Amino acid sequence: MADLATRPPLLHVARSRLRLRPGQTGVVIAGLVLLTTVAGSLLAPLVWPLDQSAVALDQTRLAPSWTHLAGTDDLGRDVAHRAVYGLRVSLLVGAVAALVATVLGGVVGGIAGTLGGRVDRILMRIVDTIAAMPHLLLGIFIVAMLRPSLGAVIASVGLTHWLSTARIVRSEVLSLRNRPFIDAAISGGAGRLRVLTRHLLPHVLPRLALATTLMIPHAVWHETALSFLGLGLPPHLASLGNMINDGQGSLLTGAWWASLAPGAVIVVVTFAIAVLAARWRDRFDPRVRAELHL
Amino acid sequence: MTRSGRLAGARAVLRRRLLVAVPVLAATSVGMFALGAASPVDPAKQYAGAAAFTASEENLAQLRANWGVDDPVPVQYLRWIGNLVRGDLGWSTSRHEPVASVLAARAGWTLLLIGVALALALVGSLLLGSLAAYRRGGLFDRALRAGAYAVQSMPVFWLGLAAIAVFALALGWLPAGGLTDVTATGTSWGDVAHHLILPVGVLAVSQAPWFVLFVRDAVAESMRDDHVLAARARGLPGRTVLFGHALRTALLPFLTLVGTHLPELVGGAVLVETVFSLPGLGAVTVAAALGSDFPLLAAITLATTAVVLAANLATDLAYAAADPRVRLDG
Amino acid sequence: MTTTESVPAPASARAATSRPLLAVDGLGVEFRLRDARVRAVTDLHLTVRAGELLAVVGESGCGKSVLAHALLGLLPGNATTTGHAVLHESDGEPVDLITCGQRQLARRVRGRLVGLVPQSPATALNPVRTGRRLLAETLRAHGRDRADADQLAVDVGLDPADLDRYPHELSGGMAQRLVTALALAPDPALLIADEPTTGLDRPLVDHTLDLLRRRCDNGAAVVLITHDLAAARRVADTVAVMYASRVVEHRDTDELFTAPTHPYASALLDALPDRAFRPVPGDPPMLTALPPGCAFAPRCPHRTDTCAHPPEPTPVAGGGTVACHHPIRTGANP
Repeated sequence: MADLATRPPLLHVARSRLRLRPGQTGVVIAGLVLLTTVAGSLLAPLVWPLDQSAVALDQTRLAPSWTHLAGTDDLGRDVAHRAVYGLRVSLLVGAVAALVATVLGGVVGGIAGTLGGRVDRILMRIVDTIAAMPHLLLGIFIVAMLRPSLGAVIASVGLTHWLSTARIVRSEVLSLRNRPFIDAAISGGAGRLRVLTRHLLPHVLPRLALATTLMIPHAVWHETALSFLGLGLPPHLASLGNMINDGQGSLLTGAWWASLAPGAVIVVVTFAIAVLAARWRDRFDPRVRAELHL
Repeated sequence: MTRSGRLAGARAVLRRRLLVAVPVLAATSVGMFALGAASPVDPAKQYAGAAAFTASEENLAQLRANWGVDDPVPVQYLRWIGNLVRGDLGWSTSRHEPVASVLAARAGWTLLLIGVALALALVGSLLLGSLAAYRRGGLFDRALRAGAYAVQSMPVFWLGLAAIAVFALALGWLPAGGLTDVTATGTSWGDVAHHLILPVGVLAVSQAPWFVLFVRDAVAESMRDDHVLAARARGLPGRTVLFGHALRTALLPFLTLVGTHLPELVGGAVLVETVFSLPGLGAVTVAAALGSDFPLLAAITLATTAVVLAANLATDLAYAAADPRVRLDG
Repeated sequence: MTTTESVPAPASARAATSRPLLAVDGLGVEFRLRDARVRAVTDLHLTVRAGELLAVVGESGCGKSVLAHALLGLLPGNATTTGHAVLHESDGEPVDLITCGQRQLARRVRGRLVGLVPQSPATALNPVRTGRRLLAETLRAHGRDRADADQLAVDVGLDPADLDRYPHELSGGMAQRLVTALALAPDPALLIADEPTTGLDRPLVDHTLDLLRRRCDNGAAVVLITHDLAAARRVADTVAVMYASRVVEHRDTDELFTAPTHPYASALLDALPDRAFRPVPGDPPMLTALPPGCAFAPRCPHRTDTCAHPPEPTPVAGGGTVACHHPIRTGANP
């Protein structure tokens, strides 16, 4: 049997097996956390079904234990169980909303970039103005005018989060426009639409896909904030924001887990994405070294 | 450049910016009004509330006619915007009082919350970010950046609830919400300050990471600038080099960041006010949203946008004042 | 440092008798880059005596400025240093500039013991401060009266009224004089002047060189980093010729200019307009890919197979050192 004292610590073994440099350990942990939480929440209905309307009034506000990992809320519902479904709802809503925002931003940025001139100036001025509006307030306004509902939440995220995508796409198109192969296509007789779909779009798509992915946490935040204010998803639905909102009341009675546990899910997922994004920035933009070593 | 020359330049910038800001705000108001007009909510029924179920159709029609809701949308818009320009912000249907008096009673508290939190976040992040940059890669630097990324991952309302759970409930140091004690008869400033410690602190901490990370990166980069190396070579004390030279030049782009980050701060304030039940604009905004109160919501959104635009202008002017290289006559 | 004493320094006529102020012993500086290592200074030995003006000459990119930053502990984080550079203060403990740490450097060394006239004056000035504020700040930090600013300006040939301008309002020559004044403000025992005459017209070049010379005559020491050989000849007591991170020849100024022994020094002198006016053949090597032996060998007319081994600095008759397997003998025709 090997002498325990001479064996390298587990972390070092893991590092050498995976050929990781010290800065990459955090990235791997973040990746694993993200993978398990996201996959777990998406697969949950198959493994751990939840009756959204079930209550257990004899088990209200139980503290975290082995049977209820994150305790129960004031209707006796298991907080951990509902948090898994809350993440699922929030991620789905966030992904759809992020997609809406990306399409909107892509269209506006694409038009501004390809047409240029006055259209570009006007569109970008609009972008700048909306950027100066507190987007939570604007989001609240949109939800209020459309009445709180799933569609209103998606519209609220989509209409407030397309600005960065529009800017990215516009600058990307502008830099592509000056490249020789575009000139070649135009002088070869290709129409504007053809140049756009055949030449510009394939180049912009990868960045667009990344922008969408990175926007999902923002969309989740926006949805959660609206739900927390009671302006988001229907209250019976186990979304993270609804759960935090519901738990707010029991917080004052000492049952902190009911609202803090679902919030912790948001924190962990967002943090994992932040670590991965920082690493990605490190890899592909060496000028901006994010230097996040954890 | 002479002082009076710079002043005239500032005036020119101000005029040019207003020329842009006014049409931009007008366009925004059109967009918002269009959204309001497209809303499925009937303002008369909304106004009548539960009484709408019993009110006769004639009464509701009378209400609509009074407000001109049945007029063509452009006519309605012109009437609304004309009233706005004349200082009449309209009638809040959710609070049953003039919008102007809601704003007057509430805006002060929100401004106080945002102002103090912003000041705290700025001072703290400038100090901590600079210190982290001074010993780049050191223990403090790494701890601060890890902490900043962690706090950045926390929604402000969650941070607020956590703060209540810890400081108000577990430790019992600070009140969990409200502006004054329930037993208090009047509004004493000491009592208010005591109640504002947690909300202001939470808002400041939640906004600080962006500032801290930016300051840290900018100052760390600035520490390698030729002129900072030269200042070190002259044997100036570390404090002078860090704050007088490295931070001083990194401060200029930072001002712009603060300007663009203000909308985020306003959103944070709405959430913090809700968590701590403060009588600011946050609570009325939520109530107005639940009641589809277009005049109040539109006024709050437009007013905050105008304030943000004004603050951005102020930061640009501050930038010009802080950097002798910037010429204001362009 | 006994090792330094074993390598004889050039016997300067003007500073032979004074005590050694700075003894650099086996200094090496290496930069780690993403995919390369750059050796900017290799096994460097130098002695500077009080009252001595040492000129360090060489083509750009040979490591001259890195040497200056290494002596002040101002290298970036990706640099590693080896060796020693001991400064002997007239009243106080000797301090090793390479190993003493940032705290000592900041509190004791920079400014007062070792001053620096940085290389590019345009970027070396804080853009949001006037010259007067920078000068006042430096004077105050070293316990001097801020009113001395005007006198310092006059010393370097700057109109005191120009001190109230911001750096972007100064011409290149004015900025150069201002950074010189800033370096002189703490009255350093050793002044490292990195190309202090850039952007100056002829009279001002002479003015600055005379200023540096006078400092030495008053007992201070100056290291003049320059590629201007004529300037070095005019004011320097000794000259160190750097090539590809090494000092290849370090000798008394007059002796070097009359009879250079290193082929590179000789080629450098031949490039002077008043001599053969013939540029050094070939290109200087990349510091990322230095040959294992003598770095000058690929460009050298005297190279043999022995040049594949690095030459050690060896004494030359009449004082000084040369690092070459085939030095040019005095009197022989190069």
